[in-house]
Amino acid sequence: MRLRAKLAYTAAGLTLLAALLVPFLLMGLFTRTFAAMDLHVDEMYSGGPTVRTVQSGAYSIAIHRPVYPHMLQNERPFVQLDWKPVSALPGRVSDVVDIDGDGRPDVRVSFEAPKDPKTPLRVNVEPLSLRYEAMRNVGKEQYSRLIVRVDDAILIRVPLANQ
Amino acid sequence: MATNVRLPRTVSPAPRTIGRSLLLTSPIIVWSILMFANPNTQGDRRSQIAGAITAVFMIALFFMMMRTGTTYRCRRLFFVSLGILFPVGFIHNVIAARGTMGIPIEEMIAGRTPFCFMPIPLLILPAAFTRTLVFPGSILPNGGMSGGGMAAMVGIWLAITLVIGKGWCSYACFFGGIEEGIAALPKRAKIRKIDVRWRYGPWAVLLAMVLLSLALFEPAYCMWLCPFKAVSEYVAARNTVGLVQNGIFVTLFAGLVIVLPLLTKKRTQCSIFCPFGAFQSIFNKTSIFEVKIDQTRCQPCVLCQNACPNMSLSRESIARGETLMSCMKCGACVDVCPRQAVVWHIKGTEVAVKPERARLMFLYAAWAMAVMFGGSIIAQGLTTILHFLA
Repeated sequence: MRLRAKLAYTAAGLTLLAALLVPFLLMGLFTRTFAAMDLHVDEMYSGGPTVRTVQSGAYSIAIHRPVYPHMLQNERPFVQLDWKPVSALPGRVSDVVDIDGDGRPDVRVSFEAPKDPKTPLRVNVEPLSLRYEAMRNVGKEQYSRLIVRVDDAILIRVPLANQ
Repeated sequence: MATNVRLPRTVSPAPRTIGRSLLLTSPIIVWSILMFANPNTQGDRRSQIAGAITAVFMIALFFMMMRTGTTYRCRRLFFVSLGILFPVGFIHNVIAARGTMGIPIEEMIAGRTPFCFMPIPLLILPAAFTRTLVFPGSILPNGGMSGGGMAAMVGIWLAITLVIGKGWCSYACFFGGIEEGIAALPKRAKIRKIDVRWRYGPWAVLLAMVLLSLALFEPAYCMWLCPFKAVSEYVAARNTVGLVQNGIFVTLFAGLVIVLPLLTKKRTQCSIFCPFGAFQSIFNKTSIFEVKIDQTRCQPCVLCQNACPNMSLSRESIARGETLMSCMKCGACVDVCPRQAVVWHIKGTEVAVKPERARLMFLYAAWAMAVMFGGSIIAQGLTTILHFLA
């Protein structure tokens, strides 16, 4: 048998060995390698990292870093605010929030917080700063302007105004 | 010209004895027991029964492949079962988890969109430029329908691709079986002549979707063109755009996965549309296994070309003694050749020297992956059926 053929059969044998190792080693190895690659899910979906949390009585408001769309992404820049836990929220929430932490209020957010998680949510946002857009009776039309309930939190995304 | 050639009588490979076939099947028996004797399902009787049925099914198919010396029919039986049972198990799980096949925006924001392999090529460029994954899922398990997360799907895909390359499309893809089953229904194809330029379709869709995904920062194929959304899940229609998207999914499914396979007896979605198939073709270059044509035996009757479900053979490629890059290693051409000129081959060895050895080595690798990945999906579908029967 020629050397080339010997090498070819060796490679085929190694492929068979790799097949045996797939469920016990390779799958886990590739999964861990991918998870360790410092990749992150697009912030248009995840809402970006939390930068500050404000306590308001029995509940807190988590303020996320503003998210800006990439390239031709058909969304507006926005900032996400999370009210949690839902169980501690009053029936009607109306909070003034200082989003950028400069000591001045930026938006007044008002919404009903029904106990039934299947009840559709609507939100009103009144801008107190030129940086944010108003929202009137908004549900979940777009990633950049919505109110949704995720687990034990109510998430609101307030679009940033064009400046 | 070639169709007027008098064909030699089909010479099927001589069947092996039962004992020898059993001996050759024994590694797959051990593997199947290893894969399905899962301690996690000890308490769940339905899963155990489904696992046992699947193991017997996979072992029986492999035994038949060993006994008859043919590959395609038994593989197709597995593949069609996979294609049918995947939606059964998946849709049941989706509806149990969220009550609808539509993915609500809350689930996307929570990172609980199930991740299949289709968007993998679409993620590469945005990830390379911005380290961002343009998919509303999560990298690691995150509850709900997130399963093992994106990392697990990428890990499984990469490991299987390393072993069988484009064989993924014949031994692991859980969508292709639907159209392969439908293509098997008619006795004869109503449309026999398909313009060869359609072969470039998957590459065109791949290029367009990769660029669109980079520009729009969304998995464009999943959002707009995936026919299999019709039998898995789809973006919940919140507005007119959502309705249009869902209309496209259903139309493409009806056209590419039902009507055209019935008319052509080909896997038309795979051959002329699937961008993942085009992407996977690249890995045919890295795979050690391939299908070749022994030109000393070949009398160009084009039976192999007609039998290929993926249009991966042309007169030119037959003349060169090879399949096209898109070959899925399903074995249809090998089995149909009356002169046994189409053979399994290990790159670097001489063509048609011990082709059965090459076939066995490929089949052990491919079937091991089929049992591990496809088998678990079949078992899940069977568990769902047993759940409804109980």
